[in-house]
Amino acid sequence: MSRRLRGLRRMSQLFFFAAFVLLFAFAAFPLRSPIPVDLFLRGDPLIALSAMVSLRKLIVPLVWYALPLLILSLFLGRVFCGWICPMGTTIDICERLFRVKGRHPSQAPRWRTVKFYVLIALVVTMLVPAAHRSAAELGLTQTVGLSAVYVMDPIAMLTRTFTLVGLPAAQWAVQMTRDTVTSWSYTPLVEEHPALDRALIPVQTGLSLVARDGPVHFRLSLLAFATFVGVVALGGYARRFWCRNLCPLGALLGLAGKASPVRLAVSAKCTGCMRCVSECKMGAISEDPHQYSGPECIGCYSCIAICPEKAISVTIGHRDTDRTDELQLDRRRLLSAAGVGLAAVVLPKVGWGAMRTQATEKVLKVSSARLIRPPGALAEDEFVTACVRCGECMKVCQMNALQPAFGEGGLEALGTPIIVPRMGPCIQPCELCGAVCPTRALEPFTVEEKSHLYLGTASLDRSTCIAWAADRQCLVCDEACSYDAISQKEVEGIPRPVVHEDICVGCGICEWVCPVEPLGAIRVYSSGDRRHWTRAEQRELRQRAEDERQPESDGQLLYPGL
Amino acid sequence: MSKHDMTRRDFIRRALRAGLATYALSGVDGLLGEQAAAAASGPTIAVASRKGPAELVRAAVGAMGGIGKFVKRGARVLIKPNVAWARKPEQAATTNPEVVAEIVRLCKQAGAREVKVTDHPVDGPEALLLRMTGIGPAAKGAGARVNLASSPALYERVNLRGAKVLKSVEALRDLRRADVFINVPIAKVHSATGVTLGCKNLMGTVLDRGAWHRSNLDQCIADYAAEFRPDLVILDATRVLLSNGPKGPGRTEAKGIVVAGIDPLAVDAYGATLLGRQAQQVGHLTRAKDMGVGEIDLGRIRIRNV
Repeated sequence: MSRRLRGLRRMSQLFFFAAFVLLFAFAAFPLRSPIPVDLFLRGDPLIALSAMVSLRKLIVPLVWYALPLLILSLFLGRVFCGWICPMGTTIDICERLFRVKGRHPSQAPRWRTVKFYVLIALVVTMLVPAAHRSAAELGLTQTVGLSAVYVMDPIAMLTRTFTLVGLPAAQWAVQMTRDTVTSWSYTPLVEEHPALDRALIPVQTGLSLVARDGPVHFRLSLLAFATFVGVVALGGYARRFWCRNLCPLGALLGLAGKASPVRLAVSAKCTGCMRCVSECKMGAISEDPHQYSGPECIGCYSCIAICPEKAISVTIGHRDTDRTDELQLDRRRLLSAAGVGLAAVVLPKVGWGAMRTQATEKVLKVSSARLIRPPGALAEDEFVTACVRCGECMKVCQMNALQPAFGEGGLEALGTPIIVPRMGPCIQPCELCGAVCPTRALEPFTVEEKSHLYLGTASLDRSTCIAWAADRQCLVCDEACSYDAISQKEVEGIPRPVVHEDICVGCGICEWVCPVEPLGAIRVYSSGDRRHWTRAEQRELRQRAEDERQPESDGQLLYPGL
Repeated sequence: MSKHDMTRRDFIRRALRAGLATYALSGVDGLLGEQAAAAASGPTIAVASRKGPAELVRAAVGAMGGIGKFVKRGARVLIKPNVAWARKPEQAATTNPEVVAEIVRLCKQAGAREVKVTDHPVDGPEALLLRMTGIGPAAKGAGARVNLASSPALYERVNLRGAKVLKSVEALRDLRRADVFINVPIAKVHSATGVTLGCKNLMGTVLDRGAWHRSNLDQCIADYAAEFRPDLVILDATRVLLSNGPKGPGRTEAKGIVVAGIDPLAVDAYGATLLGRQAQQVGHLTRAKDMGVGEIDLGRIRIRNV
């Protein structure tokens, strides 16, 4: 029975890990998945709490997806950590890689209360922006601050690692293989033997299905990789170090399951051999093996399997083994945790935070010039707090255009998605990023709406543009523009590109295709970012601009004032 | 006796076959109603009109002597349509998928060992482009291998002797490898080059297009067209783009025409007229003519209307 339970748990872990990987893989064009590809993120109650508290907004789909896990934890404690969490499974799998020799992996200083302080600090970071929003409505302050949940949430962290590290590595490997196999097709040997050539076709086709377009690249890959390795490697110091000491989601679920009726019971058959104590990967069983800490138990039931006397069993309503004194939080540390949370909110506001984007009425004030958000993004102060930096939008982006911000928008925007046009443009017939954002930091949008979702404005530098400065025959930006925002203006007999600023939505395709190396003579800047407008207002602007332009006889459209 | 020696029986057989073929073709010519056959001494093109896309292709290719004249049994065929933009077929920025599919079918029927369809797109990712333009499913359904060529591994450096500007270029390896290369452009106006037809469509077989813009676009197109001459050009003018080309969205017009020819400039010269232009006004066509690529004077081109 007990062994079967352990086998069942391992199968469950593998099943959910495979589901996580598959859903991640399915976050791609044409996005046909019967279940949401961001299911794990949506189902994470910490993420839902963070988005809803810091924005003071009820996000109904998040509630529905996050509730099941909370309810599960009320009855079964942290079984999520032992049976479902893909980060927990990753740590279990990698455990052996990092194990410190000569040290019993379960002996470790007891830092388990740290995760509760982490949770408290994170809750403070949710509450501060919420309070600021309330104060702002009364005209007392500007809204500032952002939830820092993204820093510590395990599901967001793992998804981010998959996107920023796993995806480029996997695609690079596949494409290297495909390109090598492809080059064989052109060798004399294969040329002369059609049978060999035919044999190569399915290999090439198969590899192309895995990674079609050029391998993706991301900034900040190394930072994401280092964080991930750090979290996993701690498992070599003590098994599940992250889960028992640091994970705020584990803390939240542990608290939810504090009154869980499902308990372990130890019968009188216990001889005190302490095998269960050393076997427990969470260090949840105390020196007296009759007692254990409920919020630490992840329901792996290894103790039941290892007990030579079969003295341990699962019961309902039995509370004698409960040992909650571990959960006594120190008041001074509690205050320190809150202080750290407060600092995490305030510190980005000084220094780097000085570049903050600020919208007053219809004008966007001081902002990072290259802070180009994807379509559907909330206004900046809402966006940075709602975004959990999971990287789903970057994964699903077909053009590798979405990159984690590093400097743009200040420290508070670190890791949030921005369009880096020189790496890839936001192509017109695509609405994928808005469809996969778990917190609705990117609100869903349609392809039709993209003609009036103003992300930024292209600005043409006539001193470097080869059509203007060198009289070259080049209108590549005009060719590629999906929204007809660039026209040609004939000056001294040579057609030269001009940008219509109210038609341009800042998709960046002109900057992407511009043959002027290395930066492009046409670049997108955040000056035309109109996220703080309603979509109706933006549509009106587009309509007005359309009405203003006059069709010319040969069908080329000219704009007044250009 | 080596295999190159011909027996008397062989000779008679071949002579009879050649005679019959000439007789048959001359009959076809008569039926097709060749225009100004006496005056025109230059290349021949076939212009098919007033039919569905697939029939237009069959008619135009048939008038050029049939696909068997170009594609032999066991040949490797490379077809280069325009799949540059993420646009729908009705927007006329990319080649009509039915046209592409029919060419694939003809090649397959002629016994081609392999039919590849490829382009180096400007816009967007492969999966979306192939689906949106309709060319992916259509060409695959007809039996072709369809892959867009973004990977540098698919290109090789080629030195162009006789080029005026474009001395060296990274071109698709398949251009050299294929036994038969069929260029399948769509007729559109073009902001930078006036029109985009067959010669301009070849730009989708090079890796670095930016370099052409940085130097001298018209001459680069001409230099390249002089080196890489398709075995057959099939111009899709079923629907043409008349404004805001090459990507649109712009004014389109259903012309219901497919033009086929061997001389790339003759096809382009005729194609320009469908867009209301004259080949003599198009820089890259006049430059290509100066390099001896072909004929752009419509008075010298024999046009078979079918």
